[in-house]
Order: sequence, then C-alpha cells, then structure tokens
Amino acid sequence: MAAQPYGLIATFTTTPALYHAAEQVRDAGYRYWDCITPFPVHGLDKAMGLRRSIVPRISLAGGITGFITGMTMIWWTAAWDYPLVVGGKPHFSPMYAFPVSYELTILFTAFATIIGMFVVNGLPMHYHPVLKYEHIRRGMDDTFFVVIEARDPRFNLANTKALLEKAGGVSITELES
Amino acid sequence: MSAHAATAPGAIPAAHPSAPAAAGTALLVGLVGLGLTALALIIPGVTASAVATSYLVGITFWTAMAIGMLLMVLIHHILDASWSVVIRRQWEHGLASFKWLAVLFVPLILASWFQRDLIWPWMNPAHELHGGHTVGHDPLYLKKEGFLNFNTFVIGTAAFFLLWMWLSARLRRASFQQDSDGDVRWTFMNRKTAAFGIPIVALTLTAAVIYWVKSLEYHWFSTMYGVWFFSNCVRGALSIGVIIMVWLYRRGDYKGVLNTNHFHSIGQLMLAFTVFWAYVTFSQYFLIWNANMPEETFWYNLREVNHDGSPNQWKWVGIYGILFGHFFIPFFALLSYRYKVTHHTIRRIAYWILAIILLDMCYNILPALKDAEGDSLPFLSFNLLWVLTSVVGIGGICVWSYLRSLPTAKLIPIRDPRITESLTDHE
Repeated sequence: MAAQPYGLIATFTTTPALYHAAEQVRDAGYRYWDCITPFPVHGLDKAMGLRRSIVPRISLAGGITGFITGMTMIWWTAAWDYPLVVGGKPHFSPMYAFPVSYELTILFTAFATIIGMFVVNGLPMHYHPVLKYEHIRRGMDDTFFVVIEARDPRFNLANTKALLEKAGGVSITELES
Repeated sequence: MSAHAATAPGAIPAAHPSAPAAAGTALLVGLVGLGLTALALIIPGVTASAVATSYLVGITFWTAMAIGMLLMVLIHHILDASWSVVIRRQWEHGLASFKWLAVLFVPLILASWFQRDLIWPWMNPAHELHGGHTVGHDPLYLKKEGFLNFNTFVIGTAAFFLLWMWLSARLRRASFQQDSDGDVRWTFMNRKTAAFGIPIVALTLTAAVIYWVKSLEYHWFSTMYGVWFFSNCVRGALSIGVIIMVWLYRRGDYKGVLNTNHFHSIGQLMLAFTVFWAYVTFSQYFLIWNANMPEETFWYNLREVNHDGSPNQWKWVGIYGILFGHFFIPFFALLSYRYKVTHHTIRRIAYWILAIILLDMCYNILPALKDAEGDSLPFLSFNLLWVLTSVVGIGGICVWSYLRSLPTAKLIPIRDPRITESLTDHE
C-alpha cells in the first residue's frame, strides 16, 4: 500500500544534537512536528519555537465563570426567587455572596485547568502512530527523536528527509499511518 | 541549555558589588526627611499628636519591610529553597536596617513618656474618652491593663527589636561567613535559626502590630490583625526584592545570574501573597460585618461614616485604595506571565504594591486622629505631608543601611550548597 506515511522519524543520541536539530526544523517553518525525549530538556520549547500554553487563559475564563455563577446564584436564591431576611442583612450583598463565589472561582478554575489541559494536549490518546516504530522505547531511555508529520504543509518526503539528515538525524524512517 | 552556559559556576561573579554613590544621597534624603518631620512640630496649628501618629505610619511601614525580609530569609532556609539563593543575599543586606529602625522608634517612646496619650490614649489613665469618662475608669481598658501599659509597651518594643536584630545578625553572619570558608555547617545553622526564628517572628510581629497599631483603638477586637500585618510584610519584602533585582540587573551586577525564572518565581509569590492578603483582610471585614457587634463595627464605622451618618473620605480610600488598589489591580496584573517576567512591568507592579501598603498603613493608623465630634480626621489633610516626610526620612535611613551593607559581602552567596541550582533555575 503506497499510502502517505504518518511522517518521518529521525534519531539523535545527545541533547545538544536534538536541541540544534529542533532549531533547524523550527527555522524551516514546520508546524506539525514534535520531539520525543526520555526526560524534560530545558529550553527545548524555545528551540522548537513553542509559544506558552493557552491553558492559563482557559483557567481564567473558568475562574470568571465561577465567580459570576456564585454571585448570581446567591442573588437569585436570596433576593429574587425566595427573598428572606437573614440576620437583619440585606437580601443581597456581595459580602456574604463572596465566600461562595470565591469557592466556585477556585472550583471552576480547577475544572477549566484540568479540562483545558486535556483538550490542548489531545488527551485521552490511546494510540499514536509513533508507537509502531520499533525503536521508540529507547525514547524512554537514552535516545531522542524528532518526528515530522506528513500533514504539515511543508512536508515533502525527499526535502524533509534531507533536512533531518542535515540536522544530524540518523536512522531516518517513514512511519506508517 | 545553551542559554545557561554563561552561568556555569566558573563564571559566577565572585567580586563584591561596588559601593553605590547613592548611599550618601540616601542618608542625606533620610536626614532631610526626618528633619522636615521634626520641623512640622513647630508649625502653629499642627498638633504633636498628628505628627507623631504620621511618624508612626512611617516607622510601621519600614519595620514591616524589614520584618518581611527577615521572614523571606527564614522561609528560604526552612524550606531549603534553591531558586531564591541568588536573591536571598539582598534581603540579608536589607536586615541591616533593624538597628536603625530601633533607634528611630525611640522618639515615639520618649514623646509618649512626656505626654502619655500623645499617640496611644490608653497610656494615660486620665485621658478623657468621648462621652465623659476616662481610660482609667473604662472597664474595657481595665480588663486589658496588664497588657496595655507604658512599661510593657517599652519592654515589648525593645524585646521585639532585639529579637529581630539577633535573628538578623545570626543569619547574616552565617551567610557571609560561608562566602569565605564554604563550610556547609553555616547552612545547617541557618536552618536551625529558621526553625525557631519563624515562630519568634510570627509572635513578635503580631504583638508589635497589636501594640503599635491596633491598640490605637484599644476597644477593638480582631484575631486577623497579626496575619494582616504579616501578609503586608511579606508583600513588601517581595516587592523590594523585585526592585533590587531589576536595579542590580540594569547596573550589570546580576547579568548572567538572574534568568526569566527568578522573576517568574518571585512574581508567583507576589501573586500568592496578594491573594493571601485579600483573604485575610476580607475575612476580617466580613466576620465583623456579619456579626454586626458594636464593639467591632465601630472600627470600620470610623473609616466609613461620620457621627451624623455622612460618608467620610476613608470610605473611598477603603473601596478604591484598599479593595481595588491593594487587591484587584495587582491580582489581575500578576496573573499575566509576561508582566511577571518583563523587568519594567514587574518593577512597576512592585512600586504600586509598596505605595498601597503605605496607604494600608495610613488606613489603619491615621483614623485614630479624631476631631471634637469623635469623627476621624479626613484622609486628605496636611497629615499626609508628615506621613510623606516620615516615610522618606525613615526610608532614606533604611536604604542607606542597605547600600552600606551591600559592598561588605559578595553579590550572591557563592558557596551556598544550592548556588548552582539557583543559577540554573528552571520552571
């Protein structure tokens, strides 16, 4: 079957080699690609040209939603749906609605952060084409990989292969999709 | 990776930082500020009690900064922290200000000796309360007499300063000594100092703020007060840390030492303590609002309404200055990663927080000055001038003591066991 491969995988044996290869792939303008490392390599996100995660924005949105939910809920129950005087206090005051709103801010922020992290990471992911590569387990031990996906608009079997070779990658292999 | 090659241990700036020419200027500014504060006393129409209370704002503000720096060093040691090693040294220099603060507190004690109710009405049993009777016949005072009297105040204040100076001296000596001999026992010694120092500082700062500030309204009850002061102390120390970091970075000393993550980490702590401060301050207000007991609410009433029910200026200070200025503005600004790691932005936030801590001190202290009706004097008054001269005066002395200490030790604790970790700090 001469179907389009999932992408190309190249092997690197040292962190500096991987780091500089990442810089070259980044500068070549690729978007759909990744590095596989056995441990976090500090500064690799910069070498890959990754921007900061958008999860904090999702958290903020969750927090604001939680705060508004808390305030609205207290106002609706205490001042609108069933107005009741408690302790001589006004039907609604942001004062006593605050502890509840505060808790809901934290709760919704936590939910938004967890859900946002899962969505942004594409989790849960039970299968990935890279797993078919026979040497991929070394990526959890002592070897580094760069994977460039075929769906990348700049992907071209020959040119991409040349780029990875130039970057110092060895055992460049096509991945089955 | 390669970005940190320049911070390999071999490239650690081992020299002592040069003595800045600004030290002399700071001393001069300090003396001029103190002089102007003293001059205010001879202006006709200005009461000594207004000047002394304004001076109390200044001394409380700067003592809070020093306590905060002491706490940061202690917390650093008890947690065996690594990222903050390179910044810790600057706080250690800041601790040099305690002895001068102790000296600068003496005028308040002397003035209170000559006129017992100059600042704290409870020091004089014959002080007349609003409504006719005297402090000496006030049952609420008599119950607290063993704690609130001139002698315990003086002994307490002296003890607080001595304890803070003693802890500071231990921490500074061990840290500076390690620069020359590299002995790890200094680190262990400081960890032990931290273990008993943190409870000591927690108790003394609480007692100090109760004596100096809270007792201005000795009828009042609030269990949050010490914690409120603590959070201001730490917020101030973190802000001063940021200002020094940016200053020394721009001067060149910290080039190759500080990276983005140091700013991110200290910015995160600033955010955390902004939330903590808000939690404590709101809790104090909320519990009093909810219980609605006159012996507690009067403290906030003084800061909201006059005796005829009309709002006074402190109400707007409370809403716009304290609620928005002290919480919402720094909170939303510090949420941003970019603001935390951009030097000029995080420094601007730090200056803002320091200014608002000063406003918070004014909010807590100045309404103790009252007119004949028992209403708090307005916020916008000439008293702010004496607050300003006091803060500049005492601040000048504190900055001078820091700058004087700066060239006496290396820029960073080069032989701290965690120095390499700190230099290559990552998220």
